[in-house]
Amino acid sequence: MAESFADVMQRAIGSEALEGAGDLGGKADFPLMPLGEAADMGFAQDGTPFFDPRIFYSAEFRRNPWPYYRILRNHYPVYFNKLNNTYYVTRYADMTECYYDDIGFNTIPKGSSNGVLGNVTHEFSGVEHRRRRNLFGQHLVGKALEHRVPAIERLAQEMIEAFPSLDESVRKVNGNVASVELGRAFAYEFPVRVVCDVLGFPKEAQHHFFYWYDSIMSGLGASETHKQGMEARQHLEDYVADLVEERRKNPGYLYDNEGNKLGLDIISKLCASRIDGDYLSSVEITSYIALVVAGGGETTRGTIMNMWYQLLQHPDQFAAVVADDGLWDAAFHETLRHSNPIGGQPRHATFDVELHGVHIPAGSLIEMVNFSGSHDERVFENPDNFNLFRSDLYSGKLLRSGYNKGGVCSHMAFGVGPHMCPGAWISHQEATIGSRILARHLLNARVNTDMMPKDIDGVSLAPIGINKLRDLWIDYDLA
Amino acid sequence: MSEPSKFVEQSRRKPVKVLGKSQPSMSRSGMPLFARNGTPSDYRTYEIYQRERVHEATEKIRPIALTSDEFVRDPYPILGTLRENYPCYRDWLGNAYWLTRYNQVTSVFADDANFESRSKLWFYRLPDYGRDLRDELAVQFAQEKLIDANAAPIAQHIADEFVRRGSADLALEFAARLPLELLVSTLDLPRQDFDFFVERYWRMQRGFGWNPADEQAGRIAMAELAAYFEPLLAARREKPGDDVISAIAGLQLDSGPATGEDVVVTLLEGDHETMHGALANLWFLLLTHPDQFAKVRQERRLLKFAYLEALRHSTPVLWKKRFARHEVERFGRLLPIGGLFYCAAAAANRDPWIFEDPDTFDIERRDLCQREPRGHYRSDGLAAGVALGLGKPSKHPGMPEDRPRSLYAITRDTIVTASSVLLDTAPKLRLESGAQPALGSLRLGEMHTCWNLPVRF
Repeated sequence: MAESFADVMQRAIGSEALEGAGDLGGKADFPLMPLGEAADMGFAQDGTPFFDPRIFYSAEFRRNPWPYYRILRNHYPVYFNKLNNTYYVTRYADMTECYYDDIGFNTIPKGSSNGVLGNVTHEFSGVEHRRRRNLFGQHLVGKALEHRVPAIERLAQEMIEAFPSLDESVRKVNGNVASVELGRAFAYEFPVRVVCDVLGFPKEAQHHFFYWYDSIMSGLGASETHKQGMEARQHLEDYVADLVEERRKNPGYLYDNEGNKLGLDIISKLCASRIDGDYLSSVEITSYIALVVAGGGETTRGTIMNMWYQLLQHPDQFAAVVADDGLWDAAFHETLRHSNPIGGQPRHATFDVELHGVHIPAGSLIEMVNFSGSHDERVFENPDNFNLFRSDLYSGKLLRSGYNKGGVCSHMAFGVGPHMCPGAWISHQEATIGSRILARHLLNARVNTDMMPKDIDGVSLAPIGINKLRDLWIDYDLA
Repeated sequence: MSEPSKFVEQSRRKPVKVLGKSQPSMSRSGMPLFARNGTPSDYRTYEIYQRERVHEATEKIRPIALTSDEFVRDPYPILGTLRENYPCYRDWLGNAYWLTRYNQVTSVFADDANFESRSKLWFYRLPDYGRDLRDELAVQFAQEKLIDANAAPIAQHIADEFVRRGSADLALEFAARLPLELLVSTLDLPRQDFDFFVERYWRMQRGFGWNPADEQAGRIAMAELAAYFEPLLAARREKPGDDVISAIAGLQLDSGPATGEDVVVTLLEGDHETMHGALANLWFLLLTHPDQFAKVRQERRLLKFAYLEALRHSTPVLWKKRFARHEVERFGRLLPIGGLFYCAAAAANRDPWIFEDPDTFDIERRDLCQREPRGHYRSDGLAAGVALGLGKPSKHPGMPEDRPRSLYAITRDTIVTASSVLLDTAPKLRLESGAQPALGSLRLGEMHTCWNLPVRF
C-alpha cells in the first residue's frame, strides 16, 4: 500500500474529528452577523445553502432569525430537523393549509407545554374542539368584549396616572424630562390586570397571578424550573377549584364606569354553561382558566413592548400614529407580523402525509413556524421591513380565514382556522387601548438609547429577533 | 396567496405512501418501513394523555444534557441518572423518550409488532434508491464463507506489519482496518481500489445524521460507489465468482435484476460498526485492565468471554432508535404513535438490577449469558448483553441446517480469531508507556469506541 490506512481514514473522516477536536454535540458557535445576513453554513454543489440545525440554539439565531428562515422557506419548505425529531413548515400558504386541516394535523399536545399547562382546549380537534371552544371563546369576542372595553380603559388610565409614584428604578425625572421603563411601569402588569378583571378574580388574588404566570411560563420545556412550574400549576388549580365552587353559589358581575351591571364574569358564565346538557366540571373550568392565564400575559406584554420599540425607531411612523389614533390597529398588526413574540405552534401528523416531497410518518411532530410565515416574501413585500403603511397586510377586524375578501392576508401570529388564538380580539383591544392612552401621556416619546442594549456594532439598538423585549426605557417630556 | 394548489392535493388525507416504486421497502425483519396506520378510521380527536404531576418532575436532569459534549465523550453518568430515576424519560427538547433499563430496552427492541426501526436510507431521505439484499440467503452464505476464510489471514497480515515496525495504533490500524479489509475481501474488489472504496464507504456511513455537509458527502459517495459497482456486477453476472457481488448479481429478484444501487444499500444498512467498535473496545479494556488481560493470556479460551464482556461493559452502538407503530401503553405511560424511543443499550448493559457490579470489567462474570441470545435476550436464566447492530436475536430454538450462522456468531468468531492471531504474533503486546487511551464518539449518536490506542510489541 502506498498510503497508510490511517491516511485514508483521515481523508474520509477528517483529522480534526479523529482527534476528537471537531464538533461533538448539538451545540456550535456561530458568528454574529449583520442583520439580514446568514452565517456561512456551507453550500451544496448546486449552490443551495445548507441549513445547520444547531443554529436554532445559537445566540445568533435569537437576534437575527430572518435570513435563516428565508433559507428554510426558499430551499427547505418542509425541513426535518434530525437533532430534535421535528419537521418545520415555514411558508405562509403551507401553514394555512395545515391549520385548516385540524384532523390531519392535530393539536393533541404531546409537546413540552402540556406538562405545566395541563389539559386545555387545544387538546381537541374537529367537532370536539368546536363546541368547547365556542363555550369559552365567545366571552372574548364581539358584544361580550365590548362590555369589557370600559374596564380595560379604566385599568390603563389608573396605571398611567400612577407613573409619578413609581420607584426610582422604574422612572427617573431629570428636569423637564422623565425616563420610564415601559415593561415594569406598564406592559408587564397591565395584561395581567385585564385578565384578572375579565375572569373575575378577586383583587387580592392578583399577586398570586404573577407567581402562577411567571412560574408556569419559565417551567415549560422541562427546564430547571420545570418543577416550580408544575407546583405553580397545582397551586393555580387548587385556587381556581375553590373559586369555581364559590361562584357556583354566588355569581360575580362586571360593571361599567357608572357602576351598572354589564353581565356575569367569565368564571360565573362558565359555571352556568353546559355541553350536551351537562354543566362543566370544576376541572374543565380550571383548565380553561389555566389557558387564559398562560396565554393572556406574555403575548400581550411582548406585543406592547415590541410595538413601542419598533415605532420609536421609526419616528415618522410614530408621528403618524400619534396624529391619527386609528393607526394603532395597523401598528399592532404590523408589529405582530414583524416581531411576533411567539415563534410557532406544534401540530402532529394524524396520518402519513407527503408535503413538498417530504414524507412525514403518522405521529410526527410538525412545527408551524408562524414567525416565518409572517415574513414570507410570497405574501408580504419586503417582509423584513417594519412598515405600518404596507398595503399587503390586512389589519381590519380579525378574521379566522386569515384573509379578507380582497385576498389581503393577515399575519400569522395568531394562526388561522379553527384553532386561531381565542385571545386575539382581547389582546388587540388591550394593546391598542393601552397604547393610545400611553401616547397621550408620553409627550414627545423617544427611546433612551443610553439605557438600552446595543447590537454587535455597539451603536445601533439591539434587534428584537425572536425574543421579547425585556426592558424599554422611554424618555418623554413632562408637560 | 401565491402557492396554493399543489400542496393542498398532497396534504389532504393522502393515503399512506409506501416507499419504493415497484416493491415496498422492507425493514430487516420483513416489516414494511412504515406502519400502515394511516386509515382515516383509527384516529382520535381528543386527548387522553395524562399530564405530569408535581412529583413526576424530572429535575435531576436537563434535556440539553443529552446533546452536550460531555455526553458525547462519556454518556454513562447521565444514562445512569436516567436509569436510576426516570425509567421512561420524556426528553422534551429532543422530542423523544429514553429507555435505559435492561428489561425495557430488550422488550422494545424485540417487539416488532408495536415498534419499528427506520433504515439509514430513511434518514437519508432517499426512498426510491435501492434494495436492501442482506436477507437473501445467497448473500449471507457468500459473506459467511469469505469472512470465515479470510479473518485469520488478514489479521495475520496486519499483525506481521506491526511487529516488524515495533509499534502501532491498535485502534486505527487494527480495529478500524480489519473489518474493512474483510469487507473488501468479501466483495472481492481489486487491491488498488481499496483506498477509493474505504473513503467512500466511511462517508456513506456517516452521512445520514443531522449534518448537511456530511449528508451531501454521503450521497455523493453513494452515487460514486453505485457507479463503481455497476460494471463489476455486469462482469460477474457473466463470470461469477464466490464473492458477495457475484451472489448479488446472480439473484433472481421479482423486481428486476440487482443494480449498483442495491449493492450500495446492502452495504449501507449492514455496517461494520459493531465489529470495528467491539474489537477496539475489547483491546482497550484488556490493555487498561492488566489483571483481566493476564487471565486471557493464560487461558486463551477466555477470549470469547472477554469479547462478550467488552460488548456488555462498553458497547460501541450506544442506542438504537425505535419508533412506535401504534399508540401503545408501556412503562406506565401511554406512548403516542410515531414516538421516538432511544433504546439505550449502554444503559441496559450496566443495569445493576441485572448485572452485579455492572461498571466492573470482569471477563469471568457469572451473570452474563455466554450463549447467543434468543427471543428475549435470556438464556440459561441469565441476561445477555444487549449488542445492537448484531441483528435481532433469532426466534428459533436452533439454527436450521440450511442457513448460515447468525451475524452474532460470525462477528464473535471473527473477533476471537483475529484477536487470537494478534496475541500469537505479538506475545509481548503492551500499552505505550504514558498513553492514556479513552472511549468516545466522534459525534453525537455515533459509535462509542477507542480512537487512539498506541501499543508496543
